[in-house]
Amino acid sequence: MVVLREGICPGINEDFIKALQTEDIRTVEDFVSWNPEELAQKCSLSYKALVAVRRVLLAQYTAYPISGADLYEELLSSTAILSTGSPSLDKLLDSGLYTGEITELTGSPGSGKTQVCFSVAVNISHQLKQTVVYIDTKGGMCANRLLQMLQTKTSNEQEQMEALQKIKVFRVFDVFSLLACLQNLRSTGLQKTSVGGGSVKALMVDSVSAVLSPILGGKQNEGMSLLMQVAGELKMIAKDFNIAVLVTNHVTKDGNGQLKAGLGLSWSHVPRTRVLLQRVENEETSSLRTATLTKSSRQACHMTKVFDLCHWSEERTTSISGKRKLD
Amino acid sequence: MEGSGKTETLYHLITRCITPTHSGGLEVGVVFIDTDYHFDMLRFVSILEGRLAEDSKTGSENEAEETVRSCLCRLSVVHCNSSVQLLLTLHYLENTFSSQPTLGLLVIDSISAFYWTDRFNGGESASCQEANLRKCAELLDRLRRNYGIVIFATTHAIMRNFGSDLGVSDVHGSSSSSSSRRWRSADCASDFDRPYLCRAWQRIVTHRVLFTKSHAPKDHKQIFSTACTSILTKGVKKCSFCVVEDGIKFICDK
Repeated sequence: MVVLREGICPGINEDFIKALQTEDIRTVEDFVSWNPEELAQKCSLSYKALVAVRRVLLAQYTAYPISGADLYEELLSSTAILSTGSPSLDKLLDSGLYTGEITELTGSPGSGKTQVCFSVAVNISHQLKQTVVYIDTKGGMCANRLLQMLQTKTSNEQEQMEALQKIKVFRVFDVFSLLACLQNLRSTGLQKTSVGGGSVKALMVDSVSAVLSPILGGKQNEGMSLLMQVAGELKMIAKDFNIAVLVTNHVTKDGNGQLKAGLGLSWSHVPRTRVLLQRVENEETSSLRTATLTKSSRQACHMTKVFDLCHWSEERTTSISGKRKLD
Repeated sequence: MEGSGKTETLYHLITRCITPTHSGGLEVGVVFIDTDYHFDMLRFVSILEGRLAEDSKTGSENEAEETVRSCLCRLSVVHCNSSVQLLLTLHYLENTFSSQPTLGLLVIDSISAFYWTDRFNGGESASCQEANLRKCAELLDRLRRNYGIVIFATTHAIMRNFGSDLGVSDVHGSSSSSSSRRWRSADCASDFDRPYLCRAWQRIVTHRVLFTKSHAPKDHKQIFSTACTSILTKGVKKCSFCVVEDGIKFICDK
């Protein structure tokens, strides 16, 4: 709702606004919905002035159409695919995380979502030498673990420190601070946050359900609206800054007893790709996990790959394919 | 529902519209309004290239690129991030439609994106909550009547109806119809197809297409099906399809 105020555009002065208020027109939407001819008669304002103001307001507040060809050229030059470092996961994601998109990791507690986020962050900061923004909502961020992972990749302390510096951590514990953090990043933060020549290429939110599930339920209005706002912010950051966004989510069971992502139907439309992580059956104590693709616009769904959390860069040759019952 | 093939179907329709007539297309302009940053240009172009490749027999790579480019020039994409912006953009597009008669299709994906935000911003009064969408619906109806364009809009099915799993796509035919709108309930009643957008929107919809995803993938291929109900004809028309590399392949039952 954009309220009509003096000075909102040249040509709108106080008398103009007063005249419009007699017809109960207070917002830009109301103004634009009226035919200028009718308005000129009813409010005794000049037709020319009305048409001019309408044109300026529309030019200010509408979104502009972009030709498909230009959009395609732009995307070709700006989209990048970030490898996750694990060949099995890369195969699942069609070579890695795509910039401009939101990818979701779902899984029950202990299925390895945070560890996967760590491994991907370490890979991006060390291998690809790009900055990662890590928003931690559960308090699970542990710098020692990151260091441990880096130590397996290189023994050069200088390199380790540089890679750690490229991972920026923000701690937020409720949805309003999350929104503030994202809005801040979007307005000024991302340019400032890039370190040492590499720009921010990935944003991780671990986990998005920790801040959103407490506000859902009950009358639902405010909670759902905040959920859609968070989704909108993440998407805008992903698209406008060409960043790959990775979020984690919990799982619930649906009517048939199958596992599905949490946060409900409205959130389910938000990520472009979704991967379900599970422990391998009969090997509860090992570090093996299976990743199943449950939503993708590029590959056939229900593809499953096995990977090892401890040996991230290795590929497991025993991959379980096809119709594996999720339970 | 998510993942039920609505956007894929839209890509299929748009490629049909923008490809030149000698490749089997309709060669009309398309305006795509994207409300949730959903439009995947790379996927769209791969579908377009697939379709052009199967239609043209010879031609160098440069020619193919040129054709793709000229097709893409017929498509305009607009991003809206609030219902106010959507309304104002539709007003702006009215000028575009009147000045470019080759524009024949308007796609809005998805029109339900601002539902929760509007509900919250409108406070307690339902009419306040629905005001923007109502204005959009009236405007869309006017565009349809005055300029004879076809409008497709997708809606996410998020309201439980205690039936089955579906996603919804609403279609406005280019023929006008002012008879009373009574929707035949499809015999495959669905869990999530309860119409929840405002009454003004329900009034202007002339065709309603529901998308379902089948639970059991056959031979690793997910089968999707659609059921179309319309106020103009009786009964429900159904068809199924699966998604392959180059887009949608329709499956003929028996």
